[in-house]
Amino acid sequence: MQRIDLIKAIAPLVTSEDLCISSIGGLWDDWWNHRPPGDNTFFPGILGSITTTALGLALALPHRRIVAFETDGSVLMNTGAMCTLGCERPPNLTVLVIDNGIYENIGGPPTHTSRNTDLAKMAEGGGCINVATVRDVSAGLAAFKRMLEDREMGYIVAKIEPGKHPWAWKDRKPTDGVEDKYRFMRHVEKLEGIVIHPGAPQN
Amino acid sequence: MDLPKEAPDYAKAFLEALKEAGVSIVAALPESLLGSVYRLLRQQNEIRYVQVTNEAELPGICVGAYLGGKKAVMIMENSGLRQGLEPIARFAYSHHLPVTMIMAFRGEWGERNWWGHNHAQTMEPILNALRIPYRFVREIAEIKPAIKRALLHADGSQWPVALAMTGNCVEVPAYAKD
Repeated sequence: MQRIDLIKAIAPLVTSEDLCISSIGGLWDDWWNHRPPGDNTFFPGILGSITTTALGLALALPHRRIVAFETDGSVLMNTGAMCTLGCERPPNLTVLVIDNGIYENIGGPPTHTSRNTDLAKMAEGGGCINVATVRDVSAGLAAFKRMLEDREMGYIVAKIEPGKHPWAWKDRKPTDGVEDKYRFMRHVEKLEGIVIHPGAPQN
Repeated sequence: MDLPKEAPDYAKAFLEALKEAGVSIVAALPESLLGSVYRLLRQQNEIRYVQVTNEAELPGICVGAYLGGKKAVMIMENSGLRQGLEPIARFAYSHHLPVTMIMAFRGEWGERNWWGHNHAQTMEPILNALRIPYRFVREIAEIKPAIKRALLHADGSQWPVALAMTGNCVEVPAYAKD
């Protein structure tokens, strides 16, 4: 299974009214090109802070579906977050870990998941529920659909083959971190009918 | 909010301050100097209390809550600043995202524990290096305005801020009692 094929398959299940937090790497451009219209995704450039950001968002907006697009490198950088997630178990959060077993963006040295580490077992041991490992697109699509719709937390580890889709420069995610923040924040404000950060002067 | 009568005044003031400031999510890694605060947070349901395993989890939880329109603070000992610094710095410098952190100031004048001094010695240089505004809170009467203004400052600046709790605003170690 290639990452782009899984992303293409699950993308139609995610709507502009769902909110997503995406890890870095080739995932950025894949999801950027297949995400629903609008700015429903925040792209923190911070390995180890994807699940935690999604957790905070899920607790803040319990009525809304939240998706965390994780990566093995990011999860491994902050494994305690699995335990916190397993304690909180927000029913509106689905975590999808794209596990290619390597640090692809820096040339491909192996992560521990290519050796003896099993993220799904770690998540279960940390208290997470509805944990699944998927190895092909059809299983990934079925698990993602089930966990997105079941009103319980879900944790999917998708074992994929290394390889990045060769996006043309014009199709790559063009925004930086500050622009990403404001676009996502204004999207949430519209969805929720709230003001998060007022730009106008306050008296 | 009904707080247990045996809670120390600083801790009761702390929780009242969080509530009055509109904080609905607190993420924390418990330590001893603000021990009664964590205990009170565990005993109530008005504020969602999320206990973590490592301070590096705290900034993400608070940022996620902020982007969901909720006021959140992270609480830890100042030792946790070093653990939490990577995501704090990245959220600040890469995304201009605010985080309000409240730290117990371990290593105050009179600290007897050898392991506590490095926390005080490194806290201010680190905060200054990262251009994170901070204030010390020493008196109980200062707690409410300090927390309220910290949240306003963080949101207004879109940048992290820090409060360092000490003096009458922490548990008093037995050796430090006069």
